[in-house]
Amino acid sequence: MPDMVTLPHSSLSGKPQQRQFNPYSENGGTILAISGADFSVIAGDTRQSEGYSIQTRYAPKVFRLTDNAVLAVNGFAADGNMFVKQVRQRLEWYRHAHAKDMPLRAIARLIQTMLYARRFFPYYVYNILGGIEEDGSGAVYSFDPVGSYERESCRAAGAAQSLVQPFLDNQIYFKNQVPRPGHPHPQHLSLETVIQLVIDSFTSATERHIEVGDGLEMFVVLAKGSPLHGLENFDGVQEMTVTNEGERIFVVRRNLKRD
Amino acid sequence: MLTASVYSNPGFDFSNLTRNNFLSEKGLPLPKATSTGTTIVGCVFEDGIILGADTRATEGPIVADKNCEKIHYITESIRCCGAGTAADTEFVTNLISSNMEMHALTHGRKPRVVTAMTMLKQYLFRHQGHVGAALVLGGVDATGPNLFTIAPHGSTDKLPYVTMGSGSLAAMAVFESNWQANMSRAAALQLVKDAISAGIFNDLGSGSNVDACIITVNHTEMLRNVEMPNERVQKERTYVFPKGTTAWKKEDIKKLVLSEEVTPIGVEAMDTD
Amino acid sequence: MDHIDMHRLKQGEVNLGTSIMAVQFDGGVVIGADSRTTTGSYIANRVTDKLTFLHDRIYCCRSGSAADTQAIADFGHYYLQMQAQTLGSAPAVLTAAAIMEKMCYQNKDQLSAGIIVAGWDKKTGPSVYNIPLGGGLFRQPWAIGGSGSTYVYGYCDATYQEGWGKDETVNFVKNTLTLAMSRDGSSGGCIRMCVITEDGVERKFIPGNELPKFWEGKEVLGEATQKALAAISAVSDVAPMAVEV
Repeated sequence: MPDMVTLPHSSLSGKPQQRQFNPYSENGGTILAISGADFSVIAGDTRQSEGYSIQTRYAPKVFRLTDNAVLAVNGFAADGNMFVKQVRQRLEWYRHAHAKDMPLRAIARLIQTMLYARRFFPYYVYNILGGIEEDGSGAVYSFDPVGSYERESCRAAGAAQSLVQPFLDNQIYFKNQVPRPGHPHPQHLSLETVIQLVIDSFTSATERHIEVGDGLEMFVVLAKGSPLHGLENFDGVQEMTVTNEGERIFVVRRNLKRD
Repeated sequence: MLTASVYSNPGFDFSNLTRNNFLSEKGLPLPKATSTGTTIVGCVFEDGIILGADTRATEGPIVADKNCEKIHYITESIRCCGAGTAADTEFVTNLISSNMEMHALTHGRKPRVVTAMTMLKQYLFRHQGHVGAALVLGGVDATGPNLFTIAPHGSTDKLPYVTMGSGSLAAMAVFESNWQANMSRAAALQLVKDAISAGIFNDLGSGSNVDACIITVNHTEMLRNVEMPNERVQKERTYVFPKGTTAWKKEDIKKLVLSEEVTPIGVEAMDTD
Repeated sequence: MDHIDMHRLKQGEVNLGTSIMAVQFDGGVVIGADSRTTTGSYIANRVTDKLTFLHDRIYCCRSGSAADTQAIADFGHYYLQMQAQTLGSAPAVLTAAAIMEKMCYQNKDQLSAGIIVAGWDKKTGPSVYNIPLGGGLFRQPWAIGGSGSTYVYGYCDATYQEGWGKDETVNFVKNTLTLAMSRDGSSGGCIRMCVITEDGVERKFIPGNELPKFWEGKEVLGEATQKALAAISAVSDVAPMAVEV
């Protein structure tokens, strides 16, 4: 809960103390996104915590923006929810003005300007945007709280970033792996492999990080005309597509440990 | 006359205190101690004491040990659950366990729980809270079942049901709603399991499995991992790296088996008379 | 006034934010205390016994840090036991109070302890000694202490009279502590009392639901508001918190 804090430098007794209102808190959890040739996977756990207590076991951190864009937010939950709300409003205005959904790279730039607008009172949120570009390729954009962003093919953020990102670097970028002669590393990973890596990332983060757990929500965005890549075989997969013009969005949910 | 000391003084060594304070003033933080952000409980039942603990040890938000033991041995019929700084709970219970053995040997009878409690509280009070051990001490002796909590500053409480650690509120909620006087062994064990489970699932500092220890007049039963509600699920992929994955620059093979030839000269049988 | 200085308590220290009291009467003393022990806002013990045995007819009431006051009382208990053995007679209440005061005064930098020593001895009869926060030794006909005491000084001044018997004194202690506990957040639970006379020590326990009743305020909301509130609380199927998808 936001509260009054004593600033650390002057907390020695006897000396004057400076007190200040701290409007931020940190609500734990982890998000990640991986892009493939014609798909993108964006995932997050559903635990929301503060200190040593769980506020809720189901608070979504991953949100469908359009049929080709999904946004994951992590950090201060109140800021995250408000930020998603405002991005959605801007996207709706765009739809009314242009009679189409905003392209992914434009959403990324929009998020940058919205974050930087609050340069001196930032949204305490790490954003990861995933989806399909206009050319049909899978894409992931990651942001810092004040709007610095870059396009990547894989990114983890949040409480267990330091646990998950090295694993992803090893398994997605094949860092520290020497290819065997005649067996080069694959150029693109299959959707099935990516989903397996995402699930393993979260089960492992749940094992070793106390703020990660309860539930896993994975959004899969498929490019226009792309086959399902075996997605139909996953337990409890649910389609979230709104229009029938091209890209399709699916959500896969899994339980994580609750301790 | 000044002479170089070749031995160290007994007790804690404070020689690095000034240096460490200087360093932390300069912004170099002290290393984080492993803490057992914990749920530990104890409860009196009709013929003894049941102690309970979770098995998670943490370093900040990271799980350091998924299955550690927090119920420590003091004597055969006295056990102690520890919360707080892992090193302190481990050391302080070891020390008192050793002193209790000596006490039993000098007096020639089974030591009492209050003796251990007094030793612990005096040790913790002497160190003014710098030894960060929060303990639940329980056992059965000549006076009957005894159960205490000992806070890091050395204050003690004697109660029929107690909880400690970061999960103490969750566990106490279970005790306050379901505890009854003179419970049966089975009912009390279930209550302790429920209290620890409340900590495991609702407190982020606690997790993994339930340990319990049932102490009666002539028997102590340590139930290690009596409940395992958080076993790791099967991984989706297998992560086996093919031979040659690690980069290497040169190959060098050394022969480690040495052969030696021994020639016996004038061997005589040993005189064993 | 022995107000508990919260800043002096060390981080996470167990605190007896307390209401304690001792009153002398003709044949003996009545001592009493609430039963609450807190760590911050958490009640670590709701049935604490703050009336601590020092010798056969001498008890103390403890307020301040639980660790500090237990250590002092343990030492006082040990000291009086040793003295009784060497002198072969029961120690005086003043002796007990003096050794406790010495501890509190000589270690005042490191302690937060407000203690009342009371009891009966052959020489003086019943007596009550107050040892406030930094030391000091004051004999008083009645003494109150702990964070809750500040609320009831006026009540005690207005109510206390000399020449009371045992029952009147017990009632006075019971009423005073009830009033202190009702106003002070860090006091509460039950009341424990001891009546110490030449004949022995009689313990009394009053559960939290059997405390004397005083004026507890009356409903200030109008009837219309009351009905509206009842209607709201009667709604059984309250919608769960909305979740944005």
